[in-house]
Amino acid sequence: MDNILSILIFFPALAGLLGFVVDKHSAKVYGIAVASIELLLSLGLWAKFDTTNGGMQFVEKSDIIPQFGISYNVGVDGISLFIVIMAALITLLGIILLRDNTKNMKNMIVSLLFLEMTMVGVFLTLDAIMFYLFWELSLVPMLYIIGAWGGPDRVYAAVKFFLYTFAGSLIMLVGLLATAYLYHEATGDWSFSILDWYTLELTETQQFWLFLAFFAGFAIKVPMFPFHTWLPWAHGQAPTIGSVILAAVLLKMGTYGFVRFSLPILPDASVTFTPFIMMLSIIMVIYTAMVAFAQKDMKQVIAYSSVSHMGVIMLGVFAMNAEGLGGSVFLMLSHGIVSGALFMLVGVIYERRGTKLMSEFGGLAASMPVYATIFGVMLMAAVGLPLTIGFVGEFLVLLGFYNVSPLGTVLAGSTIIIGAVYMLVLYKRSFFGPLTNEKNKDLEDLDKRELTALIPLVLIVVWLGVYPKPVLEPIDNSVKLLLTQMEKKAISTETKEAIVISKKEAK
Amino acid sequence: MIGVNHYLILSGLLFSIGFMGVLRRKNLLMLFFATEVMLNAVNIAFAAIGSYYGDLSGQMFAFFVIAVAASEVAVGLGLLILLYKKYGSLDLDVISSMKG
Amino acid sequence: MENLVYVALFAPFVGSLFAGLFFARSPKTHLVGVVNSTLIAVAFIAAVTLALHVAEHGPIHVTMMTWIGIGDLNIPFGFLVDEVSVTMMLVVTLVSTIVHIYSTGYMDHDKSYNRFFAYLSAFVFSMMILVMSDNFAGLFIGWEGVGVCSWLLIGFWYQKEDRPFEENPSISPSWAANEAFIMNRIADLGMLVGIFLIYWNTGSLQYDVVFDKLPHLADGLLVSIAIALFIGAMGKSAQFPLHTWLTDAMEGPTPVSALIHAATMVTAGVFLVIRANPLYSLEAVHGVSMFIASLGAFVAFYAASMALSARDIKRIVALSTLSQLGYMFAAAGLGAYWIALFHLAAHAFFKALLFLGAGNVMHAMDDELDIFKMGGLKKVMMGSYIYMFIASFALAGLPFMAGFYSKDAIIESAFNDGSYIIWFILVVTAGMTAFYSFRQVFFTFHGEERYKALGFHPHDMYKYVLVAMSPLAILAISFGWFMDSYHEFIIKNLPDYEMSHHTEHLAPYLGGLVIILAVTGIVIAYKKYAGTGENAWKRDEEFEKSFIYRLVANQYYVPQFYDQYIVQPYKIASAKFWEIDKAVVDGFVDFIGKGAYKTGDVSRRMQNGNLSSYLNWMGVGALILVLIAVISSVIG
Repeated sequence: MDNILSILIFFPALAGLLGFVVDKHSAKVYGIAVASIELLLSLGLWAKFDTTNGGMQFVEKSDIIPQFGISYNVGVDGISLFIVIMAALITLLGIILLRDNTKNMKNMIVSLLFLEMTMVGVFLTLDAIMFYLFWELSLVPMLYIIGAWGGPDRVYAAVKFFLYTFAGSLIMLVGLLATAYLYHEATGDWSFSILDWYTLELTETQQFWLFLAFFAGFAIKVPMFPFHTWLPWAHGQAPTIGSVILAAVLLKMGTYGFVRFSLPILPDASVTFTPFIMMLSIIMVIYTAMVAFAQKDMKQVIAYSSVSHMGVIMLGVFAMNAEGLGGSVFLMLSHGIVSGALFMLVGVIYERRGTKLMSEFGGLAASMPVYATIFGVMLMAAVGLPLTIGFVGEFLVLLGFYNVSPLGTVLAGSTIIIGAVYMLVLYKRSFFGPLTNEKNKDLEDLDKRELTALIPLVLIVVWLGVYPKPVLEPIDNSVKLLLTQMEKKAISTETKEAIVISKKEAK
Repeated sequence: MIGVNHYLILSGLLFSIGFMGVLRRKNLLMLFFATEVMLNAVNIAFAAIGSYYGDLSGQMFAFFVIAVAASEVAVGLGLLILLYKKYGSLDLDVISSMKG
Repeated sequence: MENLVYVALFAPFVGSLFAGLFFARSPKTHLVGVVNSTLIAVAFIAAVTLALHVAEHGPIHVTMMTWIGIGDLNIPFGFLVDEVSVTMMLVVTLVSTIVHIYSTGYMDHDKSYNRFFAYLSAFVFSMMILVMSDNFAGLFIGWEGVGVCSWLLIGFWYQKEDRPFEENPSISPSWAANEAFIMNRIADLGMLVGIFLIYWNTGSLQYDVVFDKLPHLADGLLVSIAIALFIGAMGKSAQFPLHTWLTDAMEGPTPVSALIHAATMVTAGVFLVIRANPLYSLEAVHGVSMFIASLGAFVAFYAASMALSARDIKRIVALSTLSQLGYMFAAAGLGAYWIALFHLAAHAFFKALLFLGAGNVMHAMDDELDIFKMGGLKKVMMGSYIYMFIASFALAGLPFMAGFYSKDAIIESAFNDGSYIIWFILVVTAGMTAFYSFRQVFFTFHGEERYKALGFHPHDMYKYVLVAMSPLAILAISFGWFMDSYHEFIIKNLPDYEMSHHTEHLAPYLGGLVIILAVTGIVIAYKKYAGTGENAWKRDEEFEKSFIYRLVANQYYVPQFYDQYIVQPYKIASAKFWEIDKAVVDGFVDFIGKGAYKTGDVSRRMQNGNLSSYLNWMGVGALILVLIAVISSVIG
């Protein structure tokens, strides 16, 4: 299994191609089978992964265009490992949750499998050009999923999603090419390998402009305020599966980009930009949480809450210490699990009632107790209750960022208050109160299909909340290594001071 | 004495006449004539400048242009006849089919 | 002994899982009540054994496993059973056991009986984590855990609909639950900041490490930590201005109010201050400690004043809880940590008893809460009457009852400290306490039988429930007698607080003053409310219209203030932000998109298919190119 990473990336794509010839009635089963194998493979990767090693593992490299240093180069470390596993898991559960009467099921399965390839590819590749390819390719299946299975405004939403993120990533591409050019200037060799770039020394001005170019691509994807407006549209129109994958995995590509590119390649600029990022993130946290509170549609609340939580993740990325950065990587996972589950839950009620407006509900706890319980667990994870997955990341990020800016942390920490406000209000409006609406009285509780998709998420929420060590340890090692590299590479003394190296060295 | 300037002025005038024709005329045939006028204006300039520098390549190029223009007219007129057969007119406003 | 620690901790958890996983969907199962009560009793027995062990051999410290380890941060699941935590464990498990047994009777007719026990046991588990943890993060787990259980239990009857504020100041159980959770979260942010400060300045969150390093920190830092942690304590213990949730929390079932909102959870703030006594007794944070004491005294008086006019039987008890919490903070702020802890325990016993008694009354009166509609219940509910009488005696601090020893000690230490203002407030409040608690007793059990006209048919609680309440009654009477031996036990861990010589000879007089005030309060209450026939109490409509009465009856208009100046503006701002998001932020994006589209739409007309106009455009283009060439050659 030396090339397990390549298998992980291309297996879904090949299976997706084969999917075209599968009988349309067995498409869902086929999808489940493929996604399960993919998940098992990713778990196998975890089993073989050396958790004490913070560096890249399972590295494969072969040239594509040697003249320009473009190569097929993949590798995995503690930061990307769990995001890949999560992507595989969410895809599988998303397919399980698909309704059997979904129209054009075969196309849906094929799109999802292609999407899985691009997602896994983005997180595993170590070559900037390959990264860019997967990054852009991921737009296509998503565009199709929103545009073909979405709500009434799906075309507008899909086009907006596509063009907005595409515009940002083009600027990012310019940044990538410029970095490669600068690398050529400095060493005389062409290389698009990220690991090579880690050793590249850039002046502060160069870093400044490159940071902005990367920022354009990543920030729109995250999405950071004020580039977030495509997200509510996309979520509002996307089918459940689209929202789940969008929130759980696609958004993480943005924050992952910051961790993989901006921080280690441009350490000085990252420190210089920290106040700016902090300001945007705090606005994201507070402003979007308030907007979420004003929503009338359940799904929109969750969509905006997603943005708000991504703000916390961004803060952690720029905390420049292992606690904050590691917490932020962990929060990417927990946000993926929790927001994915919440979107699934909203999808469940939407399937039953054909509406997501909170005013239509009320008292659902009485008619759908299991549903209400699972929703409650996810809600508690979303507001960061200790012993759920949500707490660990949020706590670590805020703890880490406190070292950077106490005031910023207090402001961003208000997320635990206003986050609770909109989530609890949503829960009260939908689940508490008397059952007044006739249509809600005979709603069926969760069936087997939905339970199969949701119970694993509930278990993960509790498991990683109580015992996050198996996940935190590899993250910790990789993050420490990353920070050490950053510190070594930084040119200004302020940057060196800003980066906190843990006393317990990375292994 | 007629100098190179006079030739060039003539050439410029002819070119402008042809250019105005291209811009203003609506009949395809007339457009052809106008382009021929422009080509010939250029030919005059080639020949004049060629003789001014004592370099034969100017005149050579003029011949070349004449040859190309002739073959182009042959093809072009053939197309015009086809168009005329199809639309019954060579007026550009009538035969335009794209509606942008 | 290690195993016993885990037994005490996890027995309630097992109960919660038992009820929650296996019986959540089945109808009322008596087995659940029995099993859960037994498991809590097991935890209690374990706690007793541990207490004996601790008294003899000193604290027990166990570490189960690492919870969060990243960077230099290492948080274990570690548990510390020392004199302080074992006291709390005893109080928590004992009151919980009784409340569990009580609930088997009280919730008998509720269709969500099993769910209730799942939540209640989960609460006990969280509370045990809170008191037993050996680090601040573990404390925070319990801290949030009890918050969630409190949310679940306040909103237990979630089906009830919202009513306007004028009809029901708590609006609805689900509203009250959310209010409690959110207000606690505000305080939790303060607590988190305290934890962050501690971590970045001491490098650890373990109590022992932190307290060792504290004296070496800068004064300003210590003050910040002390303030931040106290903000956390203010939320849980409902200190002003974060107090409004506690009275609204009375929407929950009465056993919940007894256990969570009287005996255990609300005292967590006091526990935190006691636990962090090495911090709060430092010279540098003396100002903060004095603030705590002053705020405590203020709240004691403030809550007591509201209790004077309240009509809702549970609100009266809730407000008295608030008031007693003020006493505890006053003691803790003055450095009398062990007295605060002693009062905490005593209060837990008599207040739980009082609440459960009130629960019996409610149960008998079909959930009627208005004491104006009761009266003369003594005849039909003798058992509950005796219990409530004992509890009120203890609360009022009459001689030889639990409250007498603990409250007197607090008042004395205020005098001893030279904080005469605090002392004066506390003394006056003691008189008020006696008045309002007996006002309630007389209103409910004496006087005219007003309920008869309203068609109620009260009956007392099940016998076994009344028997189960007896340990509380016994402790409410006798707990104070063990003050000296407890003192000996606890000062191994907490700083001792001795009365200085100049107050020692005054002590009997001071105590006498408090007793006189308390008795006066009771006598006034008796005269006013206990009469029958001609002496019967009548509503004084005039007085009810006076400004003072309305001010107090409306909780000093604090809830209205919060609604008007915090909740409503927040709603409006949120709606405005949404508008801005759609119009400005998204509008700008759409503007760019539309701009591109419009440009195309306009320039599309060039492609009209007319060769002649193409040629014209070509001419224009050629001219522009020539112009550019000319201009650039001139400039260049």
